[in-house]
Amino acid sequence: MGYRISVDTGGTFTDMVLVDEEGNFNIGKALTTPERISEGMFSALEVVAEAAGKTARDLLAETDILIYGTTRATNAVVTKATARTAFLTTTGFRDILVLKEGGKHGPHDYSYDYPQPYIPRRHTFEIDERIGSAGEVVRELDEAKARQVIETLKERKFEAVSVSLLWCIANNAHELRLGELIEEIMPGVPYTLSHQLAPILREYRRASATSIDASLKPLMQAHLRGMQSDLLEAGFSGDLLVSTSVGGCQEVETLVERPINTLKSGPAMAPVAGRAYSAVENMGGDVIVCDTGGTTFDVGLVRDGQLVYSRDSWLGPQWLGDIIGASTVDVRSIGAGGGSIAWQDPGGLLRVGPQSAGSVPGPACYGNGGNEPTVTDAALVLGYIDPDYFNGGRLSLDRAAAERVIGDFGKVIGKSPDETAHAIMVIANELMIKAIGEITVNDGLNPRESVIVAGGGAAGFNIMPIARELGCDTVILPKTASALSACGMQYSSIVFEATRSRFTASNEFDIEGVNNALAEIESELLEFKDSLATAAGAATTIEFFVEARYKAQVWELDTALPKQRLDGPADVEAITESFHQTHERVHAVRDEGSPVECVNWKGRISIQPFSPPPAPDATTISQNPAPDETRSCFFGGTERVSTPVFRGDNLATGDEVQGPAIIQEATTTIVVYPDMSARLSAAGDYILDCS
Amino acid sequence: MTDTDTKLDPVLISVMANRLDGIVREMTNTLLRSARSAVISSARDFSCCLVTGDDQLLAPAEGLPVHIFGCHIQTANMRKYHGDDIKRGDAYLDNDPYGGNTHPADHTFMVPVFFEGEHLFTAVSKCHMADIGNSIPSSYFVMAKDVYEEGALVFPGVRIQRDFENIEDIMRMCRARIRVPDQWYGDYLAGLGSARIAERRLEAFCEKYGKETVKAFFKEWFNYSERRMVDNIKRLPKASLVNKGRSDPLIGVLPDGLELTVKVDIDPDEAEIHIDLSDNPPSVDVGLNTSLGAATSAVVGAVFNALDKDLPRNEGAFRRLKFTYAEDSVVAAPTFPHSCSVATTNVSERLVNITQSAFAQLGDGMGLSEGGAGLGAGMAVISGNDASRGGEPYVNRLMLSTNGGPASPVADGWVNYAIPVIAGLMYRDSVEVDELKHPIRVESLGIVTDSSGAGRRRGAPAQQIEYGPTDAPMMAVISCDGQHTPPRGVVGGHDGTAGETWQIEDGVQSERLPNVIQLKLDPGQRVRGRDSSGGGYGDPLDRELERVTVDVLEGWETREKARDIYGVIFTGEIDDETLEPDVAATEARRAEIREARA
Repeated sequence: MGYRISVDTGGTFTDMVLVDEEGNFNIGKALTTPERISEGMFSALEVVAEAAGKTARDLLAETDILIYGTTRATNAVVTKATARTAFLTTTGFRDILVLKEGGKHGPHDYSYDYPQPYIPRRHTFEIDERIGSAGEVVRELDEAKARQVIETLKERKFEAVSVSLLWCIANNAHELRLGELIEEIMPGVPYTLSHQLAPILREYRRASATSIDASLKPLMQAHLRGMQSDLLEAGFSGDLLVSTSVGGCQEVETLVERPINTLKSGPAMAPVAGRAYSAVENMGGDVIVCDTGGTTFDVGLVRDGQLVYSRDSWLGPQWLGDIIGASTVDVRSIGAGGGSIAWQDPGGLLRVGPQSAGSVPGPACYGNGGNEPTVTDAALVLGYIDPDYFNGGRLSLDRAAAERVIGDFGKVIGKSPDETAHAIMVIANELMIKAIGEITVNDGLNPRESVIVAGGGAAGFNIMPIARELGCDTVILPKTASALSACGMQYSSIVFEATRSRFTASNEFDIEGVNNALAEIESELLEFKDSLATAAGAATTIEFFVEARYKAQVWELDTALPKQRLDGPADVEAITESFHQTHERVHAVRDEGSPVECVNWKGRISIQPFSPPPAPDATTISQNPAPDETRSCFFGGTERVSTPVFRGDNLATGDEVQGPAIIQEATTTIVVYPDMSARLSAAGDYILDCS
Repeated sequence: MTDTDTKLDPVLISVMANRLDGIVREMTNTLLRSARSAVISSARDFSCCLVTGDDQLLAPAEGLPVHIFGCHIQTANMRKYHGDDIKRGDAYLDNDPYGGNTHPADHTFMVPVFFEGEHLFTAVSKCHMADIGNSIPSSYFVMAKDVYEEGALVFPGVRIQRDFENIEDIMRMCRARIRVPDQWYGDYLAGLGSARIAERRLEAFCEKYGKETVKAFFKEWFNYSERRMVDNIKRLPKASLVNKGRSDPLIGVLPDGLELTVKVDIDPDEAEIHIDLSDNPPSVDVGLNTSLGAATSAVVGAVFNALDKDLPRNEGAFRRLKFTYAEDSVVAAPTFPHSCSVATTNVSERLVNITQSAFAQLGDGMGLSEGGAGLGAGMAVISGNDASRGGEPYVNRLMLSTNGGPASPVADGWVNYAIPVIAGLMYRDSVEVDELKHPIRVESLGIVTDSSGAGRRRGAPAQQIEYGPTDAPMMAVISCDGQHTPPRGVVGGHDGTAGETWQIEDGVQSERLPNVIQLKLDPGQRVRGRDSSGGGYGDPLDRELERVTVDVLEGWETREKARDIYGVIFTGEIDDETLEPDVAATEARRAEIREARA
């Protein structure tokens, strides 16, 4: 077996992880080159190749699998650089994308406009037809008029077509016919039919998913195929896989048909990494995964060893942006990070964020003209950061600037510089505690029974007190924390989902209809597997789920099916009981008397073409290393404390560090608070004891 | 509460306030996701809040503005009625509009939270129930002569749980009188579950911080909130504002509607806002009377619309608001047994509009225009029997089409506004979900071109919907107050357009129907409803060309309206993407309109 490479192209940095035959991880980072992504990728490749003592070309030639994660699609949507796309829908409903599903933040906030629809109204065309809720044809498709519409699209040079008709999920005949007409009249123009992409109830979600997908097709086809040929030219002859929003990866040919699945694929990989690290360290299946960057703090979950998914994922802010509609790994993001700015409100309280100094000008200590106190400045004043060893010494920090802005702000709030910096950290922690609290209670996960996996460059400043506040005893902070998503790709499977909408209720359950839906889903999944060259002989699992609710509820919960087909009433009861348990876990009540309504059925296939590196020997000998230096730090209270500082590369497996202490890694810093401790595991992860 | 001199660290105050906010958000999420009726789970017609053990509003959710005020009166009544016999494991139900509640449809669930034997908090969730046993199949009954004709079951602070178990007598009463009782029970479980979750979290909160710190926090948090309010009011000009408005007529009862008046005195010197609601008509013999809770919430919400957006809304902030009420009035002072069935909508919607637009009298940059008002056909309460489900009865409020929101000095109106007391917070129903749940079919649903109130910032457009039953007769109860007096523009902005309702049979549109109606539709018959649009803010001639161009390109406004009202002349065509404003012709056209005005 040769090398395996994963690449995560972020907005600023391209992270690369190289895993060799023995399972050793090597990280390379380079600036992202938005014009031609492969350039940034090859720069990162040079970094890891140098460490491996090879040329980039040789390294690539010896690589079996390259997993590529991209924000190309997300950026295209955000910068409105997607294809000129037409939206076709049922007559009478041209405003589906305008009206969305409602919802607004701030009942008293009238400072912002209502958002424009994803596809302009003038690019929306009505198709004369109507299907009813039971799949009956209420009004036949008027083919002559439909032809006229598509001829118009051709004349006006639309580059992609999104088709989403009411109740196509109950009867897809009209959508299929429109697909044929598009192929006939506008051959070669990519289109998406909603019942094929996202056969889910609720017209806005389906239309939004379909429109986003169609609008990305021309661009992502060009991008992914371009990447493929660039790699080929560079000597790569292995399998190219692309990471997706369900925390898996896909072959290029699958994704060019469903480019929507590349959205948010970077953040989706952090929980995959979290799950793997927790498994390696034998820390159980309930994991909270935190990724702290410069401007945002992302949280995701793993429950019982399973990733947690959501259909409520938005591009842009909730309600103001566009819903993705397809299921994605549930990752919540808040505006809090190293760059968040501290300020005082008119009532005299200290606030942190959501304003951020970003990377330009950045925190005051970056010395680029930043003049406001940020979390990073506070960490520097508290002694947590070595100004000469930030980012492995590549960026030297201006301590005086940090002391000045923190000192000035301290005068405003009437505290000493140390107290001020500490207060900023406490408030920043609080924002993160709340974000973790919301996603965990939403999903019925108890932080006290979970482990936290922390990643991102700024995670180590405050993850220990955050964990303690949440009652969570253990944090795993991998040495590779700064490239969590790229690491996650190394543990990912090829994942594909198929969905059918089949409405039924527990008191009048349509076993045959549901089994038919499940059979359709299964054959779609197997057909998918058969189409993959990489999948032959690979370990495969298939799981089934139902999105269910109590009678008359509006919002469904995902419930796992105990088996692949239902044999009789006992299985229906098992589904019902499984739903009661889920509902009780999430909403604290169960309603035995209510029928359970089943709305959408979902199957997920996971194919593991490569096996994860073997877990290293877990036995270590505990020992107390000597610090490399000491530094004066402040952890609250009244006095600064002389604090031992350890260089990560001088620590050995099994070393234990008692707080207060600082551990300095090249791309991250871990603050071990008083009464807490850290240990370096055999697998090379820091295990932080926050109990 | 005993006074304490402990001075808390402001950082701790922030942390504790944040934790309480998190608890209220968790309550809200639980209720939203687990409720049964669309009026709660989709329309979000509910609110969660925390009240201190001594009845001061501490932490409201981002709930409906019309629920802000009054829960503290309800918890006070709970304590008055039950005295020392309140203990852990209890829960109480209150929906008495004469006891601080908004209107009888809002079932309020109160769970007292104890720590070390002391009643420190009451967790409150208030939910608009789809049915409350009224004499007609709607929780809104505009024409109710009095509470007896209205027919709602009223629970003045009644205990519904002891030792965490239901008091089955009360459950049986509700099941015996409320339509589709399983739906009510599901919503009851959701509302109660939400308050019980808060109880668990608050007990842990008290465990963590200790009783004395929690009490000190109450005091400090109210003082902080008051300081924020003082700071904000001191930045306002001193002014006495008087604004009037009118509700829609009711055929045979109130032929001219009701003239409503709100007086707002802003006193930056004392840092107070005085709201005088006393100059309003006496109670009326219909369901339009607004309870103290509903009317006060409406005007308080509108005052907050005119202030900083992140002000805390609690007892501390409310200290800076003073109210004057009449002895007997349709506004905030109904006399028993007058009905308050629609207290949270009709008149309350007008009160929000009158108050927020009063602030625009302070000049450009202040206040809002009036928002679209009235629960039209797209927000009707529909009921009937579902033949495809063995004749099973159904009743629910739709949230399919909504009014357009008001314009502000800086932003155009919000499209999904619903009504002024909901202010855009609700979710819309999905057409597919409604067609699946009920035997109805929606023919069309969309926004109405050229309907917006024009302005430098325009109101959001009206929407129009057409629907009817599929296979059995259906009743649609429409209680709309937005079809005669349109939402007004301010600071030179134009008025919005009023709503209308029609019946459709064989494709033919009937005469316009009354704004309040119980409409029975047979299969084949349809109701067509148009909602109202928001008023504009500022002179339409000052609207930026870029904005008018988007309006015309996107069909919000026509080219003709752009020319006549906004004074913008275009060249090119929409279809081939060549549409562009003709700057010189526009300048000339705008000068011409200005001249004609002078």
